[in-house]
Amino acid sequence: MRSRPAMAGWAFPALAVFAVLASSSSARGGDQRLFLENKLANEELALAKTPTLYFIVRLKSKKIALKSRGMTLEEWNIKSLHAWGDAPPLSALGLEKKSTLFPPKRTKIQPAASEEDAAAFELDALELKDMPSKFTLFLSGGIRVYIRPKAKGFFPRLGSFGHFLAWNVWVPLKNFSFKLRKKPFSAIDVKLEKKEDGQAIFWAFPDGIKGLVFPL
Amino acid sequence: MIKTKTVRVSLLALAALLVILEAAALILARAKPAAVADDADPKALAKIKAETDVLEKKIGALSPKSAFIVIDSARNALIMRTRDKELLTAVVSCGSGSILEEPGGKRTWIFDTPRGEFQVKSKVVDPTWIKPDWAFIEEGKEIPKKREERYETGVLGDYALGFGDGFFIHGTLYSRLLGRSVTHGCVRVGDKDLKAVYQAAAIGTKIYIF
Repeated sequence: MRSRPAMAGWAFPALAVFAVLASSSSARGGDQRLFLENKLANEELALAKTPTLYFIVRLKSKKIALKSRGMTLEEWNIKSLHAWGDAPPLSALGLEKKSTLFPPKRTKIQPAASEEDAAAFELDALELKDMPSKFTLFLSGGIRVYIRPKAKGFFPRLGSFGHFLAWNVWVPLKNFSFKLRKKPFSAIDVKLEKKEDGQAIFWAFPDGIKGLVFPL
Repeated sequence: MIKTKTVRVSLLALAALLVILEAAALILARAKPAAVADDADPKALAKIKAETDVLEKKIGALSPKSAFIVIDSARNALIMRTRDKELLTAVVSCGSGSILEEPGGKRTWIFDTPRGEFQVKSKVVDPTWIKPDWAFIEEGKEIPKKREERYETGVLGDYALGFGDGFFIHGTLYSRLLGRSVTHGCVRVGDKDLKAVYQAAAIGTKIYIF
């Protein structure tokens, strides 16, 4: 599957998404889907039994959902996605860390020095608009999910070109180095329609949250 | 002359090596499909399908049967709903995410609204705020020794619903700030919506905060 027209002349255009490979057009495609749905239901049941929030990334359906007790609390549509490396394991993964160039900073409250200071009100909150829209989720098992919005404007497009180069040159080399060290590696590049969706995902996914990445 | 040629050849060899390395990396990095069992036996497949249906029913049964509250702390929105329909939506204020350090650095508070599944543990009419230590530290006042000195009335609105660890859904004097993340972790709701939530929620009503 080609990621975009610009890649047409790429020497190795076999960039494929796990989803497409997993649900190949062979006769076994339907059978595999049944197995995957069964596995997903099994894994989700285990997560839904706990009182914590969890996420499900459905690669073929291009959806990211935040759930609790089987209910979808919020869902985001993926505009496009690409992948390199091993398929993520079909079991619960933990979010080890979120990495971004400019992480949001919490404001430190200075205790009031006087009654007047205490009465003065200053709105200094960490809000959704302060969240980054471009970041990487590091999941257990060597899985990296690169989240970014669709580039709009000159500088975001320039950044997007940089990302394109990094994705097609640097990430495969990284995968190579992980392979040499016999460590698992998979990278998923997720492009979202809106900047706000990325910010909402950054907000909604606290470190430690568990979830599933499934080729369905 | 020979030196220039050697340098040129070396650079070309290095470039070729890099291209080969990148090519190998690209081939190796091609996405691999998920490993799933390969069983095309129709009986086994029917069994798997039936098992999946049961599992999905089990997942569906985990959601609350009665009305529950969903709080979106990013958008400062509260929704009271059942499995099938929304009963009420309200603009609220959630935690500011700010940090307060006790002078001397003994204790630190992060004013986030907790996330996850909770339930209404207490319902109070005309609640009195029992000011915690951080409220005095923030105001630059000394922490009182007597409990009575912590009582403050009229700041939490007409009703409060406790959901554990000192967190409440309560009213506010600052209704102009509804929709902004300004609280110390509690969820502030406007008067009219608070009354509706209070009436609709019973002890044990589930609260989902994200």
